[in-house]
Amino acid sequence: MLQYETIFITDAAATEAEIDDLLKAYEQVVGTAKGKVLKVEKWGKRKLAYPIHRQEEGSYVLMVIECPADLVKELERRYRMNDRILRYLTVRVEHESQLGPSPMMRPRPEREEPVPEMPVMP
Amino acid sequence: MRMQSRAGGGGGRSGSAGPRGRDQGRKKGYKKKFLFRKKKFCKFCDEKVAYIDYKDVRLIQAFTPERSKIFPRRISGTCSKHQRKVMQAIKRARLLALVPFLAD
Repeated sequence: MLQYETIFITDAAATEAEIDDLLKAYEQVVGTAKGKVLKVEKWGKRKLAYPIHRQEEGSYVLMVIECPADLVKELERRYRMNDRILRYLTVRVEHESQLGPSPMMRPRPEREEPVPEMPVMP
Repeated sequence: MRMQSRAGGGGGRSGSAGPRGRDQGRKKGYKKKFLFRKKKFCKFCDEKVAYIDYKDVRLIQAFTPERSKIFPRRISGTCSKHQRKVMQAIKRARLLALVPFLAD
């Protein structure tokens, strides 16, 4: 069994309870296929970098799961069937840092901290 | 970034030394502008980064300046191995609308 990291974006109109329901449903799907849910993160509402289906905002949910490969297909099929889900992405876990809290969960950096240095485009 | 600050700037065609004192005693010429440029290096190799996270928006944004184009290797100095990872991460982040495909 492999580990996968999967993110889906629901439209901003979905309430907290609805998202929890979705999550519960997906966790169940993973459970029935003898998979394991290793991590769940709800990033909450974020502004999308560009509109998707005319939505400017979306709620992000991240799951890290360990499951047989078939399950990914099934999970993505369910993502597609759900109208509330704007976008999804599933990738293999390549590095152990993906199992820990993601950069999104980090507290907002203070002002003092220098912006990652990079030259301006000439 | 450290090494780059002067490279594109000015684009001066004549060799007039301007405020830089060290150029004064030397012959006029095109080449001398580059004499003191620091060697580029891959900052990921420097820090031994094994995985570049597409969820790290701040890092991704540092590599997609202005028009949100991917910052080229020839300027950033990133090695090909890490540039590939950066590219992969940027593309994933774009798909998830974490960063724009094109900033206007």
